Amino acid sequence: MSGRGNVETLLVLQLQPIAVDTNSPDREGMLVIANGLLVAVLVRLEGPEHDDRGSWFMEAGFGRLQGQRVPTFPTLEEATRWLRRHLKAA
Amino acid sequence: MQQALTRKLESFEPLSDQARWALNGLVLKVRQVGARQDLIQEGDKPDNVLLILDGFACRYKVLPDGQRQIMALLVPGDFCDLNVFILDEMDHTIGTISTCQIVDIPRQAIDDIAAHHPSIARAFWWCSLVDGAVLREWLVNMGARAPDQRISHLLCELLMRLEAVGRVTDNSYAFPLTQTEIAETMGLSDVHVNRTLRELRALGLIHLKRRVLTILDVERLKAFCSFTPNYLHLRSTRWGDRRDLSWPGRAQEG
Repeated sequence: MSGRGNVETLLVLQLQPIAVDTNSPDREGMLVIANGLLVAVLVRLEGPEHDDRGSWFMEAGFGRLQGQRVPTFPTLEEATRWLRRHLKAA
Repeated sequence: MQQALTRKLESFEPLSDQARWALNGLVLKVRQVGARQDLIQEGDKPDNVLLILDGFACRYKVLPDGQRQIMALLVPGDFCDLNVFILDEMDHTIGTISTCQIVDIPRQAIDDIAAHHPSIARAFWWCSLVDGAVLREWLVNMGARAPDQRISHLLCELLMRLEAVGRVTDNSYAFPLTQTEIAETMGLSDVHVNRTLRELRALGLIHLKRRVLTILDVERLKAFCSFTPNYLHLRSTRWGDRRDLSWPGRAQEG
């Protein structure tokens, strides 16, 4: 059951709500935890200045997500799908 | 359009009558180019030196993943590729941001005229040195300033550069960059650009509407980002009296 190949590809993502200080009205956030490690903080865009209000933005990325310029995502599901793909790719 | 070229060069270096006469002898073509068009691409052989008479253009590179970085903004009075006309091929792309009026000066003509008129060659050097100075300041801006000060610094720089060519009225100027283009210029995400512009508005420093930027309190904005215009070399201490800061042509936007 727990073959080596399965262990390598298994990626458990957990989301945990968190309020984030972005020095803007965008404060509803999500910690993204991959296999127990914090990999990203997503924030929902609320400010009227954004063209894509309601979208999710990767406010911070850690590890291999650090420093990446990432598009915004219309839903949390699309954000986590993108994160999952990029975490697995390495 | 020789007048524009002569005026541009004379703002850096006094020209002899012979040099001015030689510039008047150049056959120059003016053309209008639409917004967001490439003028010359990375890898192209630069045949002409381009001078912007009106509009905004930029130097940029695109990474393999599609990410674009803008390394310089070119405004009326700026040469597009003076720094590479000696080189064999472009190492970056130059594209318009807004609709532009461009003068093409044949590379051969520039070579000949600079060889015969040291004052013109010197004025070209001055242009290149100022381009280098601006690039150094942009490196400092990108590497060492926080996003709000970084964007403020760009806005102060554009105020000074556009003022020098008569394109500022009551601290307002045409600002055709989209938020994505600001992000590509400043090494920030669109989201951070949006938030930063909002903050600068909230602080009462700027107003941005219909692609016209107004700096509401110039001294405060300069202080906010510790802006020092020395790197623009806008005033020559040696021949400051002779400088004519007006620029021909009309602004099409703003």
